[in-house]
Amino acid sequence: MIAHARARFDHVAAKRVLKEKYEARMLFALAGGMWQAGPKLLTVLATCPDESAVLLDLYETPVRVDVRELELAAQQRWQEQMNGWLAEHEELRKQR
Amino acid sequence: MTQGVLIFAFNNEETDYLAMAEWSAGNIRRHLNLPTSVVTNTEYTGTAFDHVIRADAESGGTRYFEDYNSTVTWHNAGRVDAYRLTPYDQTIVLDADYVVASNNLKRLLNANQDFLCHRLAFDLAGQTDMRGLNTFGNYDMPMWWATVMMFRKSNTAQYIFDSMQMVRDNWQHYRDLYNIDRATYRNDFALSIALGIVSGHTMKVDEIPWALASVMPNTQLMRWIDTDSYIITYTDSDQKLKHMSFEGLDFHAMGKKHLGDIVETDRRTRLLDSSN
Repeated sequence: MIAHARARFDHVAAKRVLKEKYEARMLFALAGGMWQAGPKLLTVLATCPDESAVLLDLYETPVRVDVRELELAAQQRWQEQMNGWLAEHEELRKQR
Repeated sequence: MTQGVLIFAFNNEETDYLAMAEWSAGNIRRHLNLPTSVVTNTEYTGTAFDHVIRADAESGGTRYFEDYNSTVTWHNAGRVDAYRLTPYDQTIVLDADYVVASNNLKRLLNANQDFLCHRLAFDLAGQTDMRGLNTFGNYDMPMWWATVMMFRKSNTAQYIFDSMQMVRDNWQHYRDLYNIDRATYRNDFALSIALGIVSGHTMKVDEIPWALASVMPNTQLMRWIDTDSYIITYTDSDQKLKHMSFEGLDFHAMGKKHLGDIVETDRRTRLLDSSN
């Protein structure tokens, strides 16, 4: 407890840990594939003209997906987690 | 298809792994809504586990633990039996000192892979050069961590566990082959060698797609405000005392003593609550 009271908050480590935590939370499984929500996946999905497309998942497995379903899931997860990331980031900035 | 978590818990001179597993089963139920089975050689009369699977403790040797400042027996050699012992079709095998503080592991169950484990670990405090821990042997072979393994009953998973058993049973041979200094058997090494064999030495292995957060033995770990929040205190490279808190993040507590203290505090709190 005494040691803890003397210690300074490590903002660099906290920022890095938040990144690890929220990047992990961007991952989700859908249609038998594993995906990472974020701009890269959303950009790929935006280029798909049809309702259905075959994409490579994180394990480099080709998976047939419903484009709009995956887009919606990715968009929701990405924004949800980014909001959580921002909220925690703001909290950590107040730490001393 | 049945799903659940399997924890191996063999107590030694210093650590009550069964108490850790019992505590972990509560976290697993809360976050993953999965049953937990334990493999142990200790009599257990509680209700935390779905199944209590009795097995003999198999020692892989002794190991020095910095947080205890002592060398203890390491009953780790039975892990290769996970495939044979699990009561589930799809299993997550966890070390007793792996802390579940989120529902992250749940998504592994939805992955299409037959076997997954972590390739890389990182130090939450950021003070440890992990190159030595993410590789093994004098040839710096890539190491996969046996701390968290997800497998389905499948040919692939069976080959991996059979290969791990072969490595364990011929440990001296594989030590020589991979030029491993330490005599003590380690599941991480056996798993890494097994994955090399099963992948045809291509090292193309399906991994858990995030890194294994780790609290090193020289880092003090304490519970912070809430159930799933923790604080670590450590000395940085300038010898300055630092602390950092985190919440809702699963991690591997490599220092067993601090985790043991948290588990014991929770146990006492529960006892007090139930007596009031």
